[in-house]
Amino acid sequence: MRRRDVTRALAALTVAAALPARAQDAPVRVGLVAILSGPNAAYGTAIRAGVELALDQVNTKGKRIALTVADSGGTKDGAINAARILIGRDKVAAIIGPTLSNEMFAMGPVTNGRGIPTIGTSTTANGITDIGPFIFRTALPEADVIPVTMKKAVSRGVKTIALMYANDDAFSKSGFEVMQSAATAAGLKILTTESFGSKDTDFSAQLTKIKALKPDAVGISALVEPVSGVLLQARQLGFGTETLFIGGNGSNSPKLGQIAGAAADGLIVGSPWFIGKPDPANQAFVAAFRAKYNRDPDQFAAQAYDTLFILAAAIAHAGNADPERIRNGLLRTDYTGVMGPFRFDAKRNPASAEGVVVLEMHGGTFRIAP
Amino acid sequence: MSVPPWLSDLFWTYQNVVVSLGVNGLLALSMYVVLAAGQLSLGQAAFMGLGAYASALLTLRLHAPFWAVLPAAMLVPVAFALLVGGPTLRLAGVYLAIATIGLGEVLRAVYLNVDALGGALGLSGIPEAAPLWLIYALLAAALLVFWRIGRSRVGRAMEAMRSDETAALAMGVNVRRYRLATLVASAALAGLAGALSAHSTDFIGPNDYGFEPAVSILSFALLGGIGSPIAPVVGAVVLTLLPELMRGFAELRLILNGVVIVLAVLFLPRGLVAWRMRRRAA
Repeated sequence: MRRRDVTRALAALTVAAALPARAQDAPVRVGLVAILSGPNAAYGTAIRAGVELALDQVNTKGKRIALTVADSGGTKDGAINAARILIGRDKVAAIIGPTLSNEMFAMGPVTNGRGIPTIGTSTTANGITDIGPFIFRTALPEADVIPVTMKKAVSRGVKTIALMYANDDAFSKSGFEVMQSAATAAGLKILTTESFGSKDTDFSAQLTKIKALKPDAVGISALVEPVSGVLLQARQLGFGTETLFIGGNGSNSPKLGQIAGAAADGLIVGSPWFIGKPDPANQAFVAAFRAKYNRDPDQFAAQAYDTLFILAAAIAHAGNADPERIRNGLLRTDYTGVMGPFRFDAKRNPASAEGVVVLEMHGGTFRIAP
Repeated sequence: MSVPPWLSDLFWTYQNVVVSLGVNGLLALSMYVVLAAGQLSLGQAAFMGLGAYASALLTLRLHAPFWAVLPAAMLVPVAFALLVGGPTLRLAGVYLAIATIGLGEVLRAVYLNVDALGGALGLSGIPEAAPLWLIYALLAAALLVFWRIGRSRVGRAMEAMRSDETAALAMGVNVRRYRLATLVASAALAGLAGALSAHSTDFIGPNDYGFEPAVSILSFALLGGIGSPIAPVVGAVVLTLLPELMRGFAELRLILNGVVIVLAVLFLPRGLVAWRMRRRAA
């Protein structure tokens, strides 16, 4: 299997080298930079699977796009080297990736300086597209997702909220700041803010204080393990269904149901994508993914899948492999995929959060919140 | 003078690899100088981080010129080395290794939690101000200095410490002074490498200077050997090029990388370059 991959890559290289670059009907070559080795390889593998599934479907009517995949290994030097090889040796017209925001901060200036459109599918950190005019992202940052969750809470009659967060982890802390401003913007009254450590196991002091204030909702920004701990203890302290628990992106994990079980029931969390979304495009994607890979797609695969279609549309709009024209094509993106309707805003970030679904824990698994 | 486009493309493609070779060569020398005196001190990644953060902050916040940034990037880790040198250098062997790894982790936690240092998001938008010729000129200069020192009385004293510290002490070698001096030299070189790398890759983050890089730097010297200053640099060159040469093997890359290192350590226990410097009779 692996040897066949290598042979195929070598064969593709030989063919690419033999073909004159000016051939008009040659497919447009695009690159993918993803983490395919090391501890974070699961993300890159999901992204690659999503992109390759979309590629099969784009190329059904003749080979329009050729893909070259390069491993970043999860390091900034790995990402830079991968991008330089894709651009300098393979002459790609656009790049999808890299996987981590930190990789993009190092790789983005290189691809942007060379004028190659680069689309991050999972890079959610602030300031990614400030790197330059050729940097795009299709990943929805938390700042776009949490307001949708808050709106759902308000529609359920929530007026007051208490916030809890892990203060020793950058991800949880920035999520808390987003939650705080989203709650204020939604007109909620913040009764108190309590913090804890990611490795804590006892949250009773914070929860007892919150219970005395009787908030309509409790927002928690932390990774899934501490969130599970908070929920389990909250139920012991007598928090019932009258209090709505709201999670940040850390709670958007199937592990929540596995650890907290029934204690997590009723928690709501916003997600850019959900496997059970009933629209036909999403159902077709899930079925095709299962048929090709024999496993369920995740959010990273879904984002990558949509991104290749968005890039393919931009290439069709450009009419050739000119990176500048592809960039203009991307700016005109108007595409509806498995994540919902998609356009880029003036800063090359996702323009709307229409595709966000609010999920609710029910019997240990997520379902779309009623 | 015009360069054909395929040649400039080729250079552009491998530019970052060429930069990494130079930077890792400096880091290998920073490891060499402590190992040559028999100190298993693993603070190189931490010193590199101090140099990288100090230089990046000077450039980004104070817009200091690059020629002023470089010496500062060496002074900050040197000051830190002098500060922690007193207590840590009382330790020996693995205890010193553990203490120095701990230092690196403490600094990593500081970068993560101090907002002014960018936290988990690191510092981005650092201008690519380090010219390639400078990196290699500094590497050549460092090699030359270590070569001269290695053949001098100082080099002999260091080798005596490496073989048997008590015996060296009995021979009149000021062991404490040598220990501190090698630590300071190691910190200065690592800080320099940090500043050069920060100013050629646009971005630095806390995890670039944690435990994993510390072990990589140690493996440069382990693979290359410490018989002469050129040996660890050869180790750095091999370990930097290996993963790039193995790109074709996709997921097998890390495994093959590991196999090569294990084979080298098994069959070449004194390093790839086992040859030792010759010295004139005293």
